[in-house]
Amino acid sequence: MHELSMADAIVKTAIDVAGKNNAQEINEVTIEIGKLTLLNPEQLKFMISVLSENTLLEGAEIIIEEVPIEIKCKSCDFVGTAHDDLDYFVPIVKCPECEEQDLKITKGRECNVKSIKIEKEDDDA
Amino acid sequence: MHKIAEVEIQHDIMLANKKLAKRNQRIFDRAGVFAVDVLGAIGSGKTSLIENLIDKMNYRIGVIAGDVISRFDAGRFENHCVPVVGLNTGKECHLDAHLVEHALHDLPMEDIELLFIENVGNLICPVDFDLGSHIRMVVISVSEGDDTVLKHPLIFKDADIVVINKVDIAEAVGADENKMVDDVLKLNPGVVVIKSSLKTGKGLDEIINNIQKFMDEM
Repeated sequence: MHELSMADAIVKTAIDVAGKNNAQEINEVTIEIGKLTLLNPEQLKFMISVLSENTLLEGAEIIIEEVPIEIKCKSCDFVGTAHDDLDYFVPIVKCPECEEQDLKITKGRECNVKSIKIEKEDDDA
Repeated sequence: MHKIAEVEIQHDIMLANKKLAKRNQRIFDRAGVFAVDVLGAIGSGKTSLIENLIDKMNYRIGVIAGDVISRFDAGRFENHCVPVVGLNTGKECHLDAHLVEHALHDLPMEDIELLFIENVGNLICPVDFDLGSHIRMVVISVSEGDDTVLKHPLIFKDADIVVINKVDIAEAVGADENKMVDDVLKLNPGVVVIKSSLKTGKGLDEIINNIQKFMDEM
């Protein structure tokens, strides 16, 4: 539901970094989205493309990499990837070892602008 | 000639909010303000609960009232003669640390000991957006259905106090309030869960005592 504010922050970050690197165009942006953010990748891509109009980011390929949920179980000390019986609205995270739900979530909540591919003037030209 | 270059960024939007939230908490701590983020479903009783707390708690209280477009809630708090800032999020479904920081500029922080930040009514989106508050209090009511905890587990995982409100009408709406308590405790065994009815006054003293306990531990 908050895809718009996320998309806005992603677009601003990508354009800002591209500008600092004297890019003439951004060809590609790679974003890591934790499964527990519940961000819908298709909605997010759509909003990024709308917000990119008339910017360096317009037309760039948007690559979304999903980050699985990692947990530390407080009951049995299991550390690793959780069972995510994950339907868009029903995120039930359980320990795969003991099935308990009292756990610390260590990964899966990120929304990380990982990298961009840019086109720029060749310095040697 | 053009060349293609890959630029590593690694800028986590969530982490950026967390940093701003930490900055807010430093502002609270410097001013001696204890901040409570009040989250919950639409119509669960967040505003009524804060009104009751303003009237019954013996502190200098301030409120940030988050709402999508209206100022209804801010108006209700103003009637209790406390400093209030209304924060409209527009189409956004949650408050974030940046919005709250702006609101802090408009509050007389030196006159406030206890600040309630009423989030936008929503059990999903506010979860990932720390505001810098010292505790999170989640308010739900039996009329949302007794499966509401299992349908929105994340908000309960990070809560410090969970209030299950309107228990006086549980039977009428066919909800089992004890199941709701059990569901919360399964997700977050250390949390304080309080059954309340703001209409009859049930649970209000318990809520106050527990906020007080968190303040004393600070």
